[in-house]
Amino acid sequence: MSVPDSQQIEHSAAAWLARRDAGPWSADDQAQLAAWLERSVAHRIAFIRLEHAWRQSGRLKALGAGADRGKAAACGQIPATQPAANQRLPTDVLPDVRRRGHGSRARLVQHPVRYLAVAAITLLTLSVGWGWWHYANTIEADYQTTIGALDTVKLADGSTVTLNSDSRVHVTFSNARRSIDLQQGEAYFAVAKDPGRPFVVHADGRRVTAVGTAFAVRRDAGNLRVVVTHGVVRMEADRSPGAARQATTLLPAGSVAVASAAGVLVRSDSVQQARDLLAWRNGYLSFHDTPLANAAAEFNRYNTHKIVIADPAVGALRIGGNFRWSNADAFVRLLEQGFPIHVVRRDDTLVLQHR
Amino acid sequence: MDISLDDWFANEILVHEGALMRYLQRCWYQRDEIPDLRQDIYVRVYEAAAKARPAMPKSFMFTVARHLMTDRLRRARVVSIDAVGDIDALNVLIDDISPERRLGARQELQRLAEALDRLPPRCRQVMWLRRVEDLSQKAVAAHMGISEKTVEKQVAKGMRLMADHFYGGMQALRAESAMPEMDDERAR
Repeated sequence: MSVPDSQQIEHSAAAWLARRDAGPWSADDQAQLAAWLERSVAHRIAFIRLEHAWRQSGRLKALGAGADRGKAAACGQIPATQPAANQRLPTDVLPDVRRRGHGSRARLVQHPVRYLAVAAITLLTLSVGWGWWHYANTIEADYQTTIGALDTVKLADGSTVTLNSDSRVHVTFSNARRSIDLQQGEAYFAVAKDPGRPFVVHADGRRVTAVGTAFAVRRDAGNLRVVVTHGVVRMEADRSPGAARQATTLLPAGSVAVASAAGVLVRSDSVQQARDLLAWRNGYLSFHDTPLANAAAEFNRYNTHKIVIADPAVGALRIGGNFRWSNADAFVRLLEQGFPIHVVRRDDTLVLQHR
Repeated sequence: MDISLDDWFANEILVHEGALMRYLQRCWYQRDEIPDLRQDIYVRVYEAAAKARPAMPKSFMFTVARHLMTDRLRRARVVSIDAVGDIDALNVLIDDISPERRLGARQELQRLAEALDRLPPRCRQVMWLRRVEDLSQKAVAAHMGISEKTVEKQVAKGMRLMADHFYGGMQALRAESAMPEMDDERAR
């Protein structure tokens, strides 16, 4: 059905549109396009979709209207941030386009700038202002989830945090740094780029630092797991007196690092494998050749109705597949069908026994 | 060739693409299949509408989406019987999906400007000249000192990327990797 798949069709549709836009466009060209469109409804739809958006994009002229175009200059790398272009933007377009150009600091900077203007009157106030800019202008917030709930929170800098079941973070943002304290559970971070303000996650005596990247940090009893799906992350021990000195570890995308008191173990997987570990964000748990004991422990993170393994031989069985974490019942039913397992259903537990 | 059908499709169906994509992302585990799934949904909706326009286009589209996912699950050999029994999990209420937003003209312009800003630099410059400055592709090529063929390619690419952002559906899918443009660049 999807033999030339949707992406390919979309590319062809875009190529047709771009060619028509390039001109000259003959009757023969038109006939060829018509034939292509007739060939399948999928072609037609891809074309309608792109054409509609393309037509709408004609309104972008409003961004440049009335420019006495110093063309080249105005259309350089970041034309939308050129003051000349800005003046003509409808008011609510302006801040948004700008924010992108400057990074997400724009909002926080407003206050210090205003403050510094006043502070310039005396040196004393100025130094106070500096201190305030760095340390006092902080935003703090706590976010947490209960068992079985996920939550995605947008932070002030544009980064997002996705909290896994039964997790808690404390967020502290200042003009100098972005700091997250993972107090419990697991969180996935998609970090907005801001080289001037490192994004640091503290957990369990370790520090995980990112600049524009995506990764997850998870606390388990006695160890800490970091999964990197994009960019590079730096993991190191939190500086504290008496802490054993541990080397800094750089983790590229695809890394899965497990840190415990004994040290740091890093596994390099494909990015896809790393993402599988984060399938929880979509409501799934993904297992590949996973001991049932571990799989059950995963389910138990999400459900108050706990799976209990009564027999070590059962716990050692290897399983694979994708499962909705919200449906532990379906999971154990499946186990009953496929494995020598008997399930005893109690009020608050599902006990797995050898059959 | 039913021109008004095409317009109907753009105005009544494509406007809900953002909501549809969020729905698919929630229900469908195989993310790389989502573009195909979307295409199949659109095809079915379009074909049905060619015979008779549904009275409630949005809920019609979601119904089609649900049926299609069920079909696919049944067809897929790897999926267990239990997963199909689990299909009720797919029965998300449509009201649960964030309410449709018909954008005002200003918001639309804002979204287009954002879409433009997210393009890779070279593509962005081509699109800026072509769309904001309204130069012809030929003039863009002369201005940038590149071939017309290259301009055409960049226009085609810009069209695709901007459409994704304009309809608002692909963001979440690409946000997966946190840095949409880079990912796209690499994929080509």
